[in-house]
Amino acid sequence: MASKRVGLFVLLQLVVLNVVSQTSAFPTPTASADDKTVYNRQLTEERPLQEQIAEADSVKAAVQSAESKQPATSKDAEPEQGDDFTMLKSLADGQKSKEAPEGPVKKGDHQYVPDESDSTKSRRLADDYDSTKHGMDYGKYQDDPESFRQVDGTPLTAEDIVQKIANKIYEEDDRGVFDRIVSKLLKLGLITENQADTLEYQVAEALQDLITKNAKNNEIEDMDQESRGEQDDLGSDTDAWETPRRRYDEEDDDEVANNDDDETADEVDRDAEEDVDNSWDKEKEEGNEVNPEDGLQDLQYFPNFYRLLKSLDSEQDAQERETLITIMKTLIDFVKMMVKYGTITPEEGVSYLENLDAMIAMQTKNKLGKSLVVPDISGLTGKNFDEDDNTKSETAKMQKEYENLKDSTKEEQPSTETNQPAKSETYLEAIRKNIEWLKKHNKEEGKNDYDLSKLKDFMDQQVDSYIEKGIIAKDEGDTIKRIYSSL
Amino acid sequence: MKPLFSSFLFAAAALALAAAASTGTEPGISFEYHRYDELRKALVSVWLQCPTITRIYTIGESFEGRELLVLEMSDNPGTHEPGEPEFKYIANMHGNEAVGRELVIYLAQYLCNQYQQGNDTIIELIHNTRIHLMPSMNPDGFEKAASQPGEIKDWFVGRSNAQGVDLNRNFPDLDRIVYINEREGGANNHLLQNMKKAVDENTKLAPETKAVIHWIMDIPFVLSANLHGGDVVANYPYDETRSESAHEYSASPDDVMFKSLARAYSMFNPVMSDPHRPPCRKNDDDSSFKDGITNGGAWYSVPGGMQDFNYLSSNCFEITLELSCDKFPNEEMLKNYWEQNRDSLVNYIEQTHRGVKGFVRDLQGSPISNATISVEGIDHDITTAKDGDYWRLLAPGNYKVAASAPGFLTVIKKVAVPYSPATRVDFELESLMERKEEEREELMDWWKMMSETLNF
Repeated sequence: MASKRVGLFVLLQLVVLNVVSQTSAFPTPTASADDKTVYNRQLTEERPLQEQIAEADSVKAAVQSAESKQPATSKDAEPEQGDDFTMLKSLADGQKSKEAPEGPVKKGDHQYVPDESDSTKSRRLADDYDSTKHGMDYGKYQDDPESFRQVDGTPLTAEDIVQKIANKIYEEDDRGVFDRIVSKLLKLGLITENQADTLEYQVAEALQDLITKNAKNNEIEDMDQESRGEQDDLGSDTDAWETPRRRYDEEDDDEVANNDDDETADEVDRDAEEDVDNSWDKEKEEGNEVNPEDGLQDLQYFPNFYRLLKSLDSEQDAQERETLITIMKTLIDFVKMMVKYGTITPEEGVSYLENLDAMIAMQTKNKLGKSLVVPDISGLTGKNFDEDDNTKSETAKMQKEYENLKDSTKEEQPSTETNQPAKSETYLEAIRKNIEWLKKHNKEEGKNDYDLSKLKDFMDQQVDSYIEKGIIAKDEGDTIKRIYSSL
Repeated sequence: MKPLFSSFLFAAAALALAAAASTGTEPGISFEYHRYDELRKALVSVWLQCPTITRIYTIGESFEGRELLVLEMSDNPGTHEPGEPEFKYIANMHGNEAVGRELVIYLAQYLCNQYQQGNDTIIELIHNTRIHLMPSMNPDGFEKAASQPGEIKDWFVGRSNAQGVDLNRNFPDLDRIVYINEREGGANNHLLQNMKKAVDENTKLAPETKAVIHWIMDIPFVLSANLHGGDVVANYPYDETRSESAHEYSASPDDVMFKSLARAYSMFNPVMSDPHRPPCRKNDDDSSFKDGITNGGAWYSVPGGMQDFNYLSSNCFEITLELSCDKFPNEEMLKNYWEQNRDSLVNYIEQTHRGVKGFVRDLQGSPISNATISVEGIDHDITTAKDGDYWRLLAPGNYKVAASAPGFLTVIKKVAVPYSPATRVDFELESLMERKEEEREELMDWWKMMSETLNF
């Protein structure tokens, strides 16, 4: 009985089961077609970054090897061109050792860019105080009593600069110091050839004076012999010294191969390219002629400053120009000092220098617009950081001045901002920032070098797609591509 | 020597140092108005500076043919990474409310700069969120507003799009539908039926509105804000009153969370959160403002707005930010507005990482898209995106979270949710077929056993 009941029960269950399975009432959990279309609807160009880069790779595979050479060379050239701060710093330090020229290459990743928010900036300033890294430079700066400041703290004039260079050459016993400094200045586009020649002459003069003075002090009888002898000692290429004098000989009737002439820059005709000595020749292809575009690239950190310098092209303003250069360097040192003493944070120092260029723009406008009477500010220089009170009162004074200036220029400034950066400059800046960040980023992560050609291909491709979508205009796209290909 | 200019320069430069050190200026951002072309170039510049973390795209064209540009920022721009929440800022849907437009541009520049400078907060934000920035939803209106001569801009000129449509009244009114469903029963989420059809065939929708709706449907946004001007407050849903009266507190099911979100913005804006701030205009009624936030309906009823549309048609929570008493203030004020809003803007993006989040998969590990995530006590469900990923914003508390999908057995989990970060809760759903199969097998086994034992 029991078994029959069970059997019936089981049978019933089976029947029910079969019926149920046949009707298959349960809906399947597949997504409906509608939902798929909603979520699969492609956005414009929503493809992964890697995919696009990989695509660019496969397209440009053939050209890769040829192109890889280019980036290599451009990478080598770049640090030299771009490393303003190192050059200026080495300038300030007088390039005591041979290491300084190599600095740009080594420190290429720590490029100092005193402009809009560069990632390396604050690091750079901090690095400067790490004596283990750049002990040479900074120690020098600390100990060097002849920093860009006289004893009483007033800024140096152009003459002082000449004096300093002459001193350094004398101490180093190496004429190459001068060459290095001037060639860097030329490359930066801070001085023209004419001014380089002037500088050379002035330094030669100063040096001669120095030698003469020292010779006198040392009670050496035959001064001329000694000076000439010492000059011979000043590096193997005495003809280098001869050359400028020779040049002057050629160009000036009354000129004698004598060091005490009071020639001024005005009188001398300066197209002496043929006579440029070896050291000049070396630097020639790197921009003796200040190509505006090169200069722009180098000075893009201070585009307004560069423009200002350019506007002071005439001979009368040569001194002014020298002074401006001095001031710029002094300011950078100034900021460094302030950071060092903790008066400001590195970030503030950095943002200050960024603002500097904007200030230059403003002040340029002022100068052109109105002749502002400046109170004797030359006394308000070189803050002695130990004397806080002094600093504070000076700052307060200057703050008031600044407020006055600010009011009058308020109207002008916004329009200056809008009009000034040309489109390509803005894009150039942006690209440059990216490249720098990539370099630094890759350095930090231990990779050797970011792949410029890959990036270039990717950017080209993106630019094209953006042009197609109307996000970038055709000429803008060409500009961007051109900038990338010039890297 | 006549270093007149030189010493002047020096002095001025030193002054700049003093000034800069005290005001903490933002390098790399110029605080000015951007017309359409300038806006475009500004975004391109950000992209050129940070090409590995940004991408520009357009969601469509305005009536007069200007691109509705978006800059997205993430560690992998162009893709939705499974589990990575999506965020958006949309500004300037009223063309003459200009501050938001500029703030979004400054924000783009700021995020790029900070990222490259090693700001850990920003780096993490960009790596873990996909941020979409649309400076202007109504570029045509802006041009109109900006072209007015003189400093004082009219309260209305440039507000609507080129067709004269107020874009913030142009969205399908889903509030009406949800209020009916509240009373009579019905869906509490994704209320726009037949989305594609409804949008494409609706002749009343402006091209800008359509573009944004498609955009909302395409990308599984989690959190959003919509920037306006003319007052200073963070406004949250619902905007439209239930009883159709002019002012009435109209709470959404997520009222608690929305208040938290709105406060997260207002508290970093000193002007917005100032309890003693006088109203923008003498006779303004800001009685509904508390801590710098207000419920939309309590302030005034807005039908057809974008904020509510987000909440009721998709998973996205959106609030409305009013950022300036003046709709189109003097350019010189822009820097101040940036200072007031910068921290709020960043902090609000971080709110995306709150509540619970995770994946819904089947037992084989395949993602289940469009599964429903419901929270007990909150009458608003959200759905999973196509990788099965979901993000359910929740205020701190204890919740029961259920995941369900057609053909699957629902799973309920208890979760304790802190303020932040989001708590990871994954679900593995068993399909009904699978359960049936299991039962069948069980039965077969039993039958086999029985037959062997009983010999039939």
